[in-house]
Amino acid sequence: MISLTRRQALKAGAAVAGATVVGSAFGPIRRAAAATDLTAVEWGGDVVNAMKKIAEKQDKVQINWVLHQGGSGAILPKIKATWPHADYDYAAGWEGSFSGMIKEDWLVPVTVASVPNLADIPQKIIVKNAKSEWMAVPRAVGGIYFAYRKDISPVPLNSIEDLFDPKLKGKICWPGPTQSMMLQLVALALHGGGNENKMEPGWDLMKKLAKSGNIGRIAVTDTDFTTSLTSGETVGGFYSEPQLTSVAKSFPVVRLTKQQGMPTFLYQSGFAVFKNRPNLDATLAFINHAISPEMSSLYAEIAGEALLNVKAKTPDSLKHLAFTPEEFDKFVYVPNFDVVLSQQDAWTKRWENEIAPLL
Amino acid sequence: MTQGRGSFLLLLPSGGLFLGLFFLPMAGLFIESFRLYVPGNIGSSANAPFTLANYQELLTPAFAGFLFETLRISLLASLAGLLFSFPLAYWIVRKFSPRWRAITVGLFVTLMFLNVLVRTYALELTFGAAGPLRPALLWLGISTNGRGYIETLVGAGLLHYIVPVATLTLLGTIQNVDPRLIDAAQALGAPGWRAHLGITLPLCMRGILAAFLFAFTFSISAFVIPMILGKGRVLFISNLIYNRFSEIADYPSGAAISMVLFLVALSIVYVTSVQVSKRWSA
Repeated sequence: MISLTRRQALKAGAAVAGATVVGSAFGPIRRAAAATDLTAVEWGGDVVNAMKKIAEKQDKVQINWVLHQGGSGAILPKIKATWPHADYDYAAGWEGSFSGMIKEDWLVPVTVASVPNLADIPQKIIVKNAKSEWMAVPRAVGGIYFAYRKDISPVPLNSIEDLFDPKLKGKICWPGPTQSMMLQLVALALHGGGNENKMEPGWDLMKKLAKSGNIGRIAVTDTDFTTSLTSGETVGGFYSEPQLTSVAKSFPVVRLTKQQGMPTFLYQSGFAVFKNRPNLDATLAFINHAISPEMSSLYAEIAGEALLNVKAKTPDSLKHLAFTPEEFDKFVYVPNFDVVLSQQDAWTKRWENEIAPLL
Repeated sequence: MTQGRGSFLLLLPSGGLFLGLFFLPMAGLFIESFRLYVPGNIGSSANAPFTLANYQELLTPAFAGFLFETLRISLLASLAGLLFSFPLAYWIVRKFSPRWRAITVGLFVTLMFLNVLVRTYALELTFGAAGPLRPALLWLGISTNGRGYIETLVGAGLLHYIVPVATLTLLGTIQNVDPRLIDAAQALGAPGWRAHLGITLPLCMRGILAAFLFAFTFSISAFVIPMILGKGRVLFISNLIYNRFSEIADYPSGAAISMVLFLVALSIVYVTSVQVSKRWSA
């Protein structure tokens, strides 16, 4: 049996405590040595899979992936809670979430000098602040549009009127109020003769659709859309591109991007780089790598979003998102995003008041 | 006097913890609920003026509907949970051998450790869109997209938590009831059911109340269960709060709904406790 006096025990305790303190003190030094560890916020599914592949093609940085939970706006309060100490080096997002970040002055402006491959991205699409500085790096364009599974849908969807067909009872998957910027309602408004500034026709049609009983699921996450369509719980609805990419690999999905009367919307996805982070140069270098022609093609192929780099090759699987100027005018509707974004709060509350009780 | 001061010192850490982690954040939430929100911003600005608008916008039939739906499903699930839990707890205490009692209690404690997300997805994977039971339910003519089915599924999700916690809560209560009282009642000619209704139930009423309050407060604040199993069509107040805070960054509105839910929960707990105390004070 080992005997231990109180003095010896105190000494041993002090030694352990000392070692712990020394270890803690050296912790930051160890972390500093691994200066190229980045933390990035990405969407799940095929998007993060694409980004992981892109990360594998370089060895300058290692990335800890954090996934968006719900819409990309859900990350904003988390950042605000810790600001000015952002936990992330970059966050993937779109015009809507970038707009909130720009208002809060969280982002580092980007230039061709800091991200050289930006020279190959159409400048028109780059998100700017009030001083016209470039505030995010676009990587791709995604589509938001109507689609259905041909093999299980009791009727083909050829127009918005078909959504009300009684044969589709419980078979429509519809985005929740915080999904797709509520462009689904703008689509209905357009069908009823309105637009994002004149939404009453859209609300009327939305009420009619909710009352019809045809909506089987209100999707609030990407997985909801994918699982519902894959399992056959629902047969069609209004989707954004990444929600369909994996489903379309296994099932005959009809993407109605070029269907008269069923508007297609385009959104930009890209990278927002945060201030007050220690690895800014490494972050910008990685983003530059990610939007290079080769990596843009790889991203488009896996994530299912149309590429923006003019030197990259569009995969065949994304031909439905390639529009001639005539097709663009005919099928794509470009809303005033300032109006759409400023109305999100009001539209969400109106949805809760007028639509949710009917579902 | 010294003993009193010692007790007070012992209370200080937990009091400080309560003040720092509960009272101050709740006070912050309360103040935020009166701030003016400008759409497009993330929360209210630091010097935003005070307003009652965030509460006024809740005075709608739709919000009353969400509140009623939350309370209705929670109440039904809590009562159903008690109906399942009481006989279970009674059997564990009175009928099981000490060995089986230990095994069963261990099982319920283990269930408590199982994450609510895991339990919810287990239900979704069994009865949901891709679940193996879905074809059978469709064959039986039960529409898995029907409103009734979805509400039942949300209720089942709540029961996953309620049954273990209510059973464990009731174990001690039933243990404290002297079984000789039932024997005496039956020896005097009372049938078993009458003896239990007249003796066991009243003597267990405080424990039943505690189990009910555990179940009910958990249910009305449930978030993940209605979010996953509700298919976006059954929405609890917590889901509205989440949308306000996390999706549209309207903190003042989210804070106002949170305060309403908090007050409703407090009122229900207070009224239920007072009524039970009055009725079964003896």
